[in-house]
Amino acid sequence: MTAHPFSAADSASTSGRAVTPSFWSRLWTRDAPGYLFLLPWFIGFFGLTLGPMLTSLYLSFTDFDLLTSPNWVGMDNYTRIFTADPKFAASMRVTFFFVIFSVPLKLAFALAVALLLNRGMRGLPLYRAVFYLPSLLGASVAIAVLWRQLFAGDGVVNDFLAIFGIEGPSWISNPRYSLWTLIVLSVWQFGSPMIIFLAGLRQIPQDMYEAASLDGASKARMFWKITLPLLTPVVFFNAVIQTIDAFKSFTPAFIISGGTGNPINSTLFYTLYLYQEAFGFFRMGYASALAWVLLAIVAAFTGFSFLTSKYWVHYDE
Amino acid sequence: MTSSAPRLTVVTGADDSAARWRKRALSTASHAALIIASILMLYPLLWMLSASFRPENEIFSSSTLWPSSWSLDAYVRGWNGLRVSFGTFFLNSFIIAILAIIGNLATCSLAAFAFARLEFRGRSFWFALMLGTLMLPYQVTLIPQYVLFQGLGWINTILPLVVPKFLAADAFFIFLMVQFFRGIPKELDEAAQMDGCSPWRIYWKVLLPLSTPVLATAGVFTFIWTWDDFFGPLIYLSDIRTYTVMLGLRTFVDSTAQSDWGGLFAMSSLSLLPIFLFFLFFQRLLIDGIATTGMKR
Repeated sequence: MTAHPFSAADSASTSGRAVTPSFWSRLWTRDAPGYLFLLPWFIGFFGLTLGPMLTSLYLSFTDFDLLTSPNWVGMDNYTRIFTADPKFAASMRVTFFFVIFSVPLKLAFALAVALLLNRGMRGLPLYRAVFYLPSLLGASVAIAVLWRQLFAGDGVVNDFLAIFGIEGPSWISNPRYSLWTLIVLSVWQFGSPMIIFLAGLRQIPQDMYEAASLDGASKARMFWKITLPLLTPVVFFNAVIQTIDAFKSFTPAFIISGGTGNPINSTLFYTLYLYQEAFGFFRMGYASALAWVLLAIVAAFTGFSFLTSKYWVHYDE
Repeated sequence: MTSSAPRLTVVTGADDSAARWRKRALSTASHAALIIASILMLYPLLWMLSASFRPENEIFSSSTLWPSSWSLDAYVRGWNGLRVSFGTFFLNSFIIAILAIIGNLATCSLAAFAFARLEFRGRSFWFALMLGTLMLPYQVTLIPQYVLFQGLGWINTILPLVVPKFLAADAFFIFLMVQFFRGIPKELDEAAQMDGCSPWRIYWKVLLPLSTPVLATAGVFTFIWTWDDFFGPLIYLSDIRTYTVMLGLRTFVDSTAQSDWGGLFAMSSLSLLPIFLFFLFFQRLLIDGIATTGMKR
């Protein structure tokens, strides 16, 4: 491992034998090391990302079923998705509902707790650890299993409500509430955006607040005029990351609904529907088309966020 | 500031004690809110842990956290609850996680070194593409990858879960390491280069030894995410002897859960234990790691 491929080139360039190095030796000394260091990444990028992406784009125009070779069907898959697939429509509704409610709620909790903790509370490390723990564990199947029990008809939540004389429904198996149990699970994991908010709050210069309070500004005014504007880059980062994560969420819905997305498709996340089509029915061509629709949605969302960010995100450079 | 402060307190003495009282009340209220929130946050976890130690007939009858008698029966039942014991699942999960850590640390740091420290044509282009893959939903590459790995005969082996890690497939860690490497003074590399060090030696002898914090962070996160991963094993592992802990839990839910909640909670708690231990010992690293991702650009 100590004999490295660059030693020859390096000594050639420093020995001064070649006063004007040729194109090839420049290529070797200047560009080759970078590309060699990137070699594993290049193999992964072309072999596992770009190649498969293009293949799945091709497959999305076919009827590929994993067993027989794919036949070209033109736009059929996409036409069916947008005009004749009630399950696609249902999974879109579920996914957007989940994103629209879970992300803002999660960020609001994260910011509120971060603001509270940032007031120089004693015991900050302990609180921070307690609030962070769920976001570390939350992706696990074990937590989804636990959630299924907590919100069952005879679960802990209803035991708790019974103390106040409320008879709760079976949250998991009632289509009106089932998706909300997943939203609660997501909000429960507000710890990691909270940590990022805390770090962001630390970077706001204290003298700005001192100056503002000398001018007689109220706490609320300082929040709206100093804290929030200076925190917008962090809000933006958190919002983008959490939204993309929410679109990709799979495990909780899969475990809680037993892989079905029921009751009556109320937890049929888009990713779950795609999984069913691909690995339940082996409609690989159709599932590829679904994947590209998802990519288009995520790309449109990301592009939109970055384009609009210059109107509300405050960058000081 | 310091000279004017005492004068102010004298003048506004009465207001000040009221303000101090208000401040203390506010602080108490904040603590109360945070403590209640903490209890609510932790209650589900504690409940599961306590349920796993209860005698079977007591799991749902009592809502107190402290079991009337402690029993390890559920752990024994759960461990052997499926055709193959959870010991196998734990071993499989550990093997996958450890290989994933090795792969990620080795190849992501190579790529990050190139992006952060080496000058070559096309660098910003490839860097932008690498960042782009961060946003890419895995579903877009899923099916062709599956076809590829199936063609290679890798189904029911750990290879589809491990080999991508040796090809720097986790762009997040490349990004994290680039951020860290950029914080190491460039003069160090330049001095080493003057002394005739090749890029490889600079990477191996200068940068890596200074990067233990970010390597540890990446290692711990790799462990946790690989351990928790459900989708990958679900797709690629169908033989129960190759199952990971997460797949074992899922099978447990589907097969026996209705009759053996105790066993299920015992195995669920046990499956969270490695993550909890990492959290306990590397909390600082994890929190700093999370915090830096959002801060620097």
